[in-house]
Amino acid sequence: MLNFTPEEKRVILFFLIIAFCGITLNNLAKLNYRVKKLFCPPANLARIDLNKVSLEELIKTRCLPVKTAQRIIVHRQEYGNFSSLEELKEVKGIGEQRYERLKEIFFIE
Amino acid sequence: MKRLFGLSVVFYCLGIILVSFIRVNFWLIVVFGVIISAAAGLNFRNNQVFTVWIFSLALLLGALSLKNTFALPACHISNFIPYSNDAVYSLSGFIDSQPVTQNKRTAFIFRVQGAQLDNLKWDCCGKVLVKLDFPQDLNYADSLMLQGVLRRPYGFSSGSRSYRKYLSRQGVYLLMRIKSSLQIIPQDEKSGNKLIIFAFWLRDKLEQVIQKYLPDLPAAILSAMVLGQKSSVPWLVNNYMVKSGTVHILVVSGFNVGVVAFITSLLLKIIRIRRKQRIILTIICLLIYCLITGASNPVIRATVMGVVFLSGHLLKREADIYNCLACAALFILIINPCQLFDLGFQLSFASVLAIVSFYPRMKSFLRLDKYKPGPLRFIYEGCLVSLSAWLGTMGIIAYNFRIISPVTVLANILIVPLSTLITLCGFSLVLCGLFCPFLAGVFSTTISFLVTLLLNINSAVIKIPGAYFYL
Repeated sequence: MLNFTPEEKRVILFFLIIAFCGITLNNLAKLNYRVKKLFCPPANLARIDLNKVSLEELIKTRCLPVKTAQRIIVHRQEYGNFSSLEELKEVKGIGEQRYERLKEIFFIE
Repeated sequence: MKRLFGLSVVFYCLGIILVSFIRVNFWLIVVFGVIISAAAGLNFRNNQVFTVWIFSLALLLGALSLKNTFALPACHISNFIPYSNDAVYSLSGFIDSQPVTQNKRTAFIFRVQGAQLDNLKWDCCGKVLVKLDFPQDLNYADSLMLQGVLRRPYGFSSGSRSYRKYLSRQGVYLLMRIKSSLQIIPQDEKSGNKLIIFAFWLRDKLEQVIQKYLPDLPAAILSAMVLGQKSSVPWLVNNYMVKSGTVHILVVSGFNVGVVAFITSLLLKIIRIRRKQRIILTIICLLIYCLITGASNPVIRATVMGVVFLSGHLLKREADIYNCLACAALFILIINPCQLFDLGFQLSFASVLAIVSFYPRMKSFLRLDKYKPGPLRFIYEGCLVSLSAWLGTMGIIAYNFRIISPVTVLANILIVPLSTLITLCGFSLVLCGLFCPFLAGVFSTTISFLVTLLLNINSAVIKIPGAYFYL
């Protein structure tokens, strides 16, 4: 037989446990739709909801100058919720280049 | 003296720092070097005096190597380009980096082999940073003919943080902006290093495996953790991790190199390869992995340290961790002394040095050895490692990012074990995806679950009052 060191035995055991967990979770996901949420990270973990974000949060993230952040909030208050990210271009201070960057940061639910 | 080599590297670094602040003539340093070499030769038998001369020589060597890096060859492209000019040049050469496409723009480093202005044609060398105003599918080693205006980079700020200095440290002295695809003429032949071409091809294959089995966000995070491809990690995730002081998990580091070494060695052992061949094959795999991940400073550091450790194993000699670290630093600095000013280099070496020096002292001070191995001791040790790394890098992070995150230690205790699991599962997924795809699905569910958990913990941790503050 092969002479495995204790570390190597642990690694083999680890892989088997992971495979075991994987199959169990996969099965649970098939049976229950709610469990599936555990595997698909919600959008708000990676992006900011443009229609829900407050001025404070927007400033805290430091993705925009303070004045532009204020203009986004004012725009939302004046014209209602954003219907698409493209609408960001209507805000003063957001040109094509900044928009390209911001559309990676925001999302609309 | 046990760590003569390590200390010599420290003096080599000091030489680089010294000459970057003080203007000294290259030949003056050479003259000093000759004098000190002669003095060292004369004091060969007096150990203490000889050591002093050796350190002085290491210092001068560092200074010389930095001076030599900034001395451009006569055929360098920047020697032919006046400061203010709008002439359209035709450059022939090949792409010397993996092109990066972001915000519908592509950028890459172009290695120039020839230039043409009107009817005048000449051979030249050097690198140019090319920026395309549109996305273009290009690869490393593609031979191209580019037409455009060459400009020198602006400084934007003074001192060592200037953009011009940043580029010059990478050997780039000129920029070319291309607005239309008509300015790019593809050439038939393929240049570049065959091994790097293979490494990039393999990386693309591995990325495809990751994207095939995982949803977008977990795939982006796993690509960063396993392959060092951070470009698809969302800005917000990166930002949150900077705030919690856990952004290091998105970078390929010594841990990943260790995992590659361990898995390779284990697989080779299972197929009954002999010890000597096993070590040599593991070293080759480490080198290929280093190229796959883009050979960034932390990976080179870890790879060199790994190679030194394995070589020591092969020669049945024990490797000293400080000398290994010094060896890795010297390897990087000999290739490019300017890397000493690279943030990745500083953070990587500072964190390892802090862990290596602070952690054992803290452990013995708190008498952790009297606890039996178990979950409690594991948590204590994890705390101490995180605390050591934080202490070592805090100054550099505060200076460069203007942020201090007291929550770092807590965040790392929660997130590092998770990221370790994700990395291990990631390697398993990649291997299964390549060799037995029917098994890959087993790992993908676990990875998605762990990534979701990690992101949730991270966003919860930074919401703790006083978790981080900007200076």
